[in-house]
Amino acid sequence: MVPAKSSPSDEQLVEATLAGDDAAFAELTRRHKSRVFGVAARFAHDAAELEDICQDVFVQAYFKLRQYRRDSPFGHWVLRITTYKCYDYLRRRRRGGTLLSMDAMHESGYEPSAPEAPAPHPDLERLHAALAQLSPKERLVITLLELEDRSVQEIAGLTGWSTGNVKVRAFRARAALRKLMEEQK
Amino acid sequence: MNDPARDPDARLNALFALARENRPDTSTPEFAFETRLLARLRARRETGSVWAMASWRLIPFFAACVVALTIWQAEIESDTTDDAAVAGLTNPVAADLWSN
Repeated sequence: MVPAKSSPSDEQLVEATLAGDDAAFAELTRRHKSRVFGVAARFAHDAAELEDICQDVFVQAYFKLRQYRRDSPFGHWVLRITTYKCYDYLRRRRRGGTLLSMDAMHESGYEPSAPEAPAPHPDLERLHAALAQLSPKERLVITLLELEDRSVQEIAGLTGWSTGNVKVRAFRARAALRKLMEEQK
Repeated sequence: MNDPARDPDARLNALFALARENRPDTSTPEFAFETRLLARLRARRETGSVWAMASWRLIPFFAACVVALTIWQAEIESDTTDDAAVAGLTNPVAADLWSN
């Protein structure tokens, strides 16, 4: 019987990447891209922005790999970069004034395969439209807490905020979202 | 008893649950992502190395600029010193001071 070839661990792939092996980094990317895409898709408003966010995440991971301390799993470290990048995109979008309504999103070449693609439920469209009107911090915390089902501790670890801060922001975000949903009626 | 249909918090929770179930499909954008990423990394490294090479090649030019500036500065300073000495001789007050 041929023994099953064990695949290298993330740690080994990180070491190989640092030694200049691009194939090792491609393998790391392949392993973790789904989680990164999953989170980023909650924030990106089209497929192009999703691609940009995810590329930025892995480019930063590649060039900052020497700063990765092995005190947490590689996947968690990449997810932390993803959170920062998503927040960065939300802030930039808000500054650029590209706060799009659902109609405007459809008109501006909104792709069916994109995240937040035409929601299967009309109420979900209303939810996404309301989420888009929240401040970047509010949107980040409510998305991670309620849509990604992360715990307060996890969010604190991902954002660098204290758990108390996360709770307060989540409470305010929820109140703001409830108000927006009421106004939409 | 609160009617869940009228309770805004319950409605919001139901919407969140619905959104959790309806995860965005990212299979299309994920396709061949590693290939695109490696191409971008390669391009960025090449751009970085071009800049690094250009900056190394520009070192003699900048060094020559620094030498030229130093010489120019020294000449200006010597001219200023000569002018000050001449001014001191022609200025009566300064000339008195000079003679004392």
